[in-house]
Amino acid sequence: MNRLTQSMILILLGGAVLRITTVSTTYLNYVKPGFRPFLIAAGVVVLLLGVIGLVQEWRGATAHEDDHDHSHAPGVAWLLTLPVFAIFLIAPPALGAFSAKAEEPQARPVAAAEPYDALSAGTVNEMTIGEFVGRAWGESADSLVGQQVRLTGFAVPSERKRDRWYLARIQIACCAADGVALKVAVLDADMPPENTWVEVVGTWKRPPSGKLEPGIIAPELTATSITSIPQPVEPYE
Amino acid sequence: MSERVGVEVSEEVPPPEWGRRQPLGAVSPWIFVVVVGLLLLGRLVFAPYLTAPALQAWATIFVAICVQALPFLAFGVLLSAAITAFVPASFWTRALPKRPFLAVPVAGAAGAVLPGCECASVPVASGLMSRGVTPAAALAFLLASPAINPVVIVATVVAFPGEPMMAVARFGASLVVAVVAGWVWLRFGRADWLRIPSRPVGHGPKWRSFVEAMRHDFLHAGGFLVVGGATAATMNVVVPRAWLESVAGIPVLSVLVLALLAVILSICSEADAFVAASLTAFSPTAKLAFLVVGPMVDLKLIALQTGTFGRRFAARFIPLTFVLAVVVSMAAGEVLL
Repeated sequence: MNRLTQSMILILLGGAVLRITTVSTTYLNYVKPGFRPFLIAAGVVVLLLGVIGLVQEWRGATAHEDDHDHSHAPGVAWLLTLPVFAIFLIAPPALGAFSAKAEEPQARPVAAAEPYDALSAGTVNEMTIGEFVGRAWGESADSLVGQQVRLTGFAVPSERKRDRWYLARIQIACCAADGVALKVAVLDADMPPENTWVEVVGTWKRPPSGKLEPGIIAPELTATSITSIPQPVEPYE
Repeated sequence: MSERVGVEVSEEVPPPEWGRRQPLGAVSPWIFVVVVGLLLLGRLVFAPYLTAPALQAWATIFVAICVQALPFLAFGVLLSAAITAFVPASFWTRALPKRPFLAVPVAGAAGAVLPGCECASVPVASGLMSRGVTPAAALAFLLASPAINPVVIVATVVAFPGEPMMAVARFGASLVVAVVAGWVWLRFGRADWLRIPSRPVGHGPKWRSFVEAMRHDFLHAGGFLVVGGATAATMNVVVPRAWLESVAGIPVLSVLVLALLAVILSICSEADAFVAASLTAFSPTAKLAFLVVGPMVDLKLIALQTGTFGRRFAARFIPLTFVLAVVVSMAAGEVLL
């Protein structure tokens, strides 16, 4: 692989990274929002490396006398075009129902550093699915009694029971590879088409046994209204 | 010098050099035109068909691993190139103890300073070696820095609220593994197992050799990172986690299973504590093994190390690290958790 090709690959890769971070919010399908400045910086560095290489190449033969011995880059560098292909051809969407389907023991959401705030009665409390699950499984389950909550997520059918479905959202700590699905079973409502984003307003249903074993059974929500919404800009919690 | 690197690498990588029959300079740009053409054509022709959920989930995770590792890789390559170009070799002989036996723990502890994940540490360690640092010391640094730097320790404390001993055990066990692995390499390692990457040191201005080293390292390590990312994404989609969790209750086996999971998932060391915390069914010792093994051995690291230091090195050093990490985690879990 000669210097020209190396530079082209670097420009392509840097350009792809800048494209998903600056002109669109696609990067939110892959990493946390706080990652943006680092991605932009890395994209610029890679792009610059490529541009410098091109300029050196264009300036011509003066640099070439001793260059032939270290302008070899390994063939493995071609693989750097793979993520570029993936970004442009597959345009990978945010993880959705496919990744939330397995009926495996649910992950416990990362615990909040401070105890949850008291909920205000009489209004609809907006919260993340993580907070809802955290409350329902934790000490503060009583705080949910009788409270209307609004949760945002996508619809996932249950693999075990035919008429059961979940409102799910993926929680990521750093990037989509560490994503875990958080799920709440929605009662008294028909399931929207799989993978549709919805807002569900409802109240927590206390399990018959009193308290849930964290991680084993998803908390339940008795729905009063379901509204279809477009996918949020930030698809993960 | 670097001719040697190029040739050796191409022995291992499937496509040795494209189009040997013709002079490379004439062919590669055209391959490149084909690549760009495929990109444009593919958007119109193939993109509508690339919508299977499994393929999309795979692509999301693959791109996520690559995208997330990119800043760390760029940072690591930048630092490594700066070490090669601007720090005189004599600095390292002064900064580190003369006796290799002592240099190993010092280098391991120095890992606490570099706030990067494992993708950054491989190029930095190879930069250190090419500047004359004892390989064993550079290896101790390589293992320690992604596991014990402040960012990772803070993340661990946050992910395990009320269990500060988890962060303490992680720090201690990781440092012990790094130093012991360095000593073992010092005592039993043979020089010809390890391919110390030689750098293109230009005779021109310093910034020029800086850019040259950066470009070379980035293309090289980046290619192997892609290999690791693709493997990890495949494992992530194909292996159901439910299989692994079915063994959560069995003492020794559960530790081994989480250690293997850490290898397979290849999560960045800054995020792995959150994943470990979510594996509620497992014992603290098993989670500790996950945290100690992950930053030292995982699929993308295996690919990066093989690419940077050679297959003969990787085939010995990676099993050594894995076994040490599991054993030390079990001991630390027994004592501290």
